[in-house]
Amino acid sequence: MIKSDNSKIFLVMIFPSLISVILLTFVPILRSFFIAFQNYNFHDLSNIHFIGFENFQAVFNSVNFNFSRILLNTFLWITVSLFFQFVLGFGLALLMKEPFKGRGVYSGLVFYPWALSGFALGLIWAWMFNGQFGIINDVLRKIGLIHQNIGFLSDTRYSLISVIIANIWYGIPFFGIMLLAALQSVPLELYEAAEIDGAGYFIKLFKITIPYIKPTIISTLLLRTIWIMNYPEIIYAMTGGGPANSSNILSVQMINKIIKFLNFGEGAAIGVMIIITMCIYVIIYLKIVSREELTF
Amino acid sequence: MKRLMIVLLSIFLLVSVLSFSALATKVEINFIEAYTNPNRKILLKEIISDFEKLYPNIKINLISPPYEQATQKIVLMLSTKQPLDIVEVKADTIGLYVGNNWLFNLENYLAAWPDSKTLLPAAWQLARTVDDTAYIIPSTVYSRTLYYRTDILEELGVDSIPKSIQELFEVCKEITDSSKDQYGFCFRGKNQQIDNIHYLVLPFLDDLNTTNLYRKTDGKIIWDDPRVVEALKLYVRLFKETSPKDSINWGFNEQINAFGSGITPIILQDADFIGACDETIGRGKFMMAPTPVGPYGKVYVILYFPSLSIASNSKHKEEAWEFIKYFLSPEVNAYYTKNNSLLPIHSVTFEDDPYFSSGIFTPWAYMMKHPEMYVLGQPPVVSPKYAEWMQVSNNDLQSLLLGDISVEKLVNKWVEYWQ
Amino acid sequence: MKIIKKFMKFIALMLYLILAVIPLYWIIITSLKDIKEVFVFPIKYLPQVISFESYRKLFVFTNFAIYFRNSLMVALIASFGALFITVFSGYAISRCGFKFKRSILISLFLTQAIPGFLILVPLYTMFAKVGMLDKLPSLMLLYINIMIPFSAIMSKSFFDRIPISLEEAAQVDGCSRVQALFKIVIPLTLPGLSAIFCFCFINTWNELFLAVMFINSDPKMTIPVALNSFISKIGVGWDILSAGIVISLIPTLVIYAFAQRHIVAGLTGGAIKG
Repeated sequence: MIKSDNSKIFLVMIFPSLISVILLTFVPILRSFFIAFQNYNFHDLSNIHFIGFENFQAVFNSVNFNFSRILLNTFLWITVSLFFQFVLGFGLALLMKEPFKGRGVYSGLVFYPWALSGFALGLIWAWMFNGQFGIINDVLRKIGLIHQNIGFLSDTRYSLISVIIANIWYGIPFFGIMLLAALQSVPLELYEAAEIDGAGYFIKLFKITIPYIKPTIISTLLLRTIWIMNYPEIIYAMTGGGPANSSNILSVQMINKIIKFLNFGEGAAIGVMIIITMCIYVIIYLKIVSREELTF
Repeated sequence: MKRLMIVLLSIFLLVSVLSFSALATKVEINFIEAYTNPNRKILLKEIISDFEKLYPNIKINLISPPYEQATQKIVLMLSTKQPLDIVEVKADTIGLYVGNNWLFNLENYLAAWPDSKTLLPAAWQLARTVDDTAYIIPSTVYSRTLYYRTDILEELGVDSIPKSIQELFEVCKEITDSSKDQYGFCFRGKNQQIDNIHYLVLPFLDDLNTTNLYRKTDGKIIWDDPRVVEALKLYVRLFKETSPKDSINWGFNEQINAFGSGITPIILQDADFIGACDETIGRGKFMMAPTPVGPYGKVYVILYFPSLSIASNSKHKEEAWEFIKYFLSPEVNAYYTKNNSLLPIHSVTFEDDPYFSSGIFTPWAYMMKHPEMYVLGQPPVVSPKYAEWMQVSNNDLQSLLLGDISVEKLVNKWVEYWQ
Repeated sequence: MKIIKKFMKFIALMLYLILAVIPLYWIIITSLKDIKEVFVFPIKYLPQVISFESYRKLFVFTNFAIYFRNSLMVALIASFGALFITVFSGYAISRCGFKFKRSILISLFLTQAIPGFLILVPLYTMFAKVGMLDKLPSLMLLYINIMIPFSAIMSKSFFDRIPISLEEAAQVDGCSRVQALFKIVIPLTLPGLSAIFCFCFINTWNELFLAVMFINSDPKMTIPVALNSFISKIGVGWDILSAGIVISLIPTLVIYAFAQRHIVAGLTGGAIKG
């Protein structure tokens, strides 16, 4: 039982973090919120003024960057990546739960993708998916699955699934590490009791393991969803959102608006949309899974 | 003893005054590039250090942001008045920079610079792109030309190099035999496809406004002109019948490889292709020809021109100009362009320098001598829509080549875009 | 039956391993190839000649050693800085009884919902006004700020697992609160704290956009910016880029391998029972 303690010293301890976040995160965000309602475009900085929801309208109605397509891609990017990252990561964690010889080295090798930068990783995968010199095409041809090279990153049918595959590969270690840690905290007595009652593998899994590590599952899924949305370096490095918007998602479109088209107002509008969506998602998510404290 | 002290003190004072004044007069200027690449950076640093030896009181800091983020970085720095002196400018940002009053008017400097007399007329024209005033000076000027594999075409029995777009299509089609993995035209579909359109579709019109090639002299938009529709249909045929299906995904690297391996021995490319070819197949195996003309005997030559400028709030404009004069002087410019596989900007270099007046560079000389055939023109690069246009047009052209939309639908879309 | 199960498990583990390692293998191989072998068809899975030319070019033609030093400095200082700050913050949030404790936690969590790229321009103008651009310490400050929310939440959860009775016992023995923190609590959460350090290091080591915009001078550049500058108008310089990626992987893998044991142990909450 933690005593309720209101010592001033806690304020002092929290102070640096609060100041930093307020000054370097919240203040800029506020500024961005304002800019979302201004015509802040680097092409003409002389006449920046309030334009209401025009930026948002421009984004929604954009003929060349089909908003509904971008939304669909965003949805697919998040859900498909998340699903496979979780399932495969969980599978890996289950496989690694029992100690085996060389597990230390093995975990080092199989979890390392987490240490890579999304950008570098995007480049590596882009190279592997390359339509002419990529090893993926080469292997698929050698085993006879395809007869002609596929332009994974330049074919509108394959670009989204390609970036998603790279993203899944990137995210498996995260779930692997977190879930493995959680799995190892499950008391063995629970399993022994179940075995005496004759429970098989899957019953143990679903009735004991998963409920016990539920907090970890909830927190990792939530966090990972947000990260998948807000860290699209993989897409940026692999396809830049193309071709023809086929792999474009909200956060990539925001980056493009700012870097390529120098239209910060519209970029900020997209950013605002992303933040609001994510906040709503977090709030609803936490309400649904009820008062789970944010622990790991 | 006292004498010695006085002498030492005087020497000390003298030295401090001198070094202080030396420090005081040493000027640091910032030069930001927009086309960073590792090889060029070394070349630039070499030229900079030679310059610093000649002008020991000027120090130049080279800022080299990655190519993809360069524009944004320059824009951020200029808009927050960071200390920038020399700014490398890309063609599609000139309008932006001048519009925001970030660039310094160079007309007076140019008038007083003797070497400016030997600048190519094209260089002058481009320098004055915005408001007919020179805010920039190109450091190189070139356009797309035709490259071909001399050995492969000889093998295949091609004895005349295409001079017109129609001939280009016919020659490429003749040598294409997909069963033998032999094709003709080296397509580039991954990005910047609009440049293909500039060279393969625009020449089908003869009444274009050269300051804005997307409009005719009567002010109308070009895209729904029936001649454009015909040209686009030929364009699609060029892709479908003379180039590998894969080439819709080809970028620069893939093109080098395809040209180098001989699958597609004919290509329209920029001057920096020369360096890549030298490296992969060697100078002897390829040759350049003038850009193919359209049915009216004309082609609109759009010059690519990275250029230098001085920031309007630079505090060291004189020193910045000293470097620009040095860098763009005929000798240094020749050295720079030679080592970077680019074209120089002074007519004397073309006439006097053996490297530039012979061999593969002869087509350019020919093109310069016939401005009635090789007409200088510009698409609306200064329009704020142009940056987005590059991506939009690429998307649309890919859809066109994949058969997802028809030519008619595409031109209607484009008419609306530029309305 | 058991043998089959074991065999299947082995196959599954091997599949995961192969999938994980292939890209790494491929980028290492590419960096060891001669430039002429890179764009070649049919694809060479093993270089005919092992060539360190790409590495030589990397260190001779670009100032990669300096970039490496810069990245190392920035990442280490930012990570230690973030760790230091969030040890205190996480501890305070864990132990305090403030009414707005939950709101602090939720707002920290919500900062993760912010796409970092969005605040780049306002931050830039902010730093421009106070002349803090083109300085590595500014970059460190920015990185620390980015790492604070997640690290504070993580460290709070580690401190939550340490029973307060331990501190109370120490205080009875005459320790101040802070002393108890350093003498008792921190040693017990060391595994978790090394996990946080590792996480901070990896993220600051790999950060790209802030580094590009906030640093101008060549001698101050960091590795991600340098790698990105190998991509130019004419495409990707795969030789030096692959060499650069391999080299830049080394510190992260070292830190990761070193902290790995602690990470897994740390995330299970340490060895305290009761």
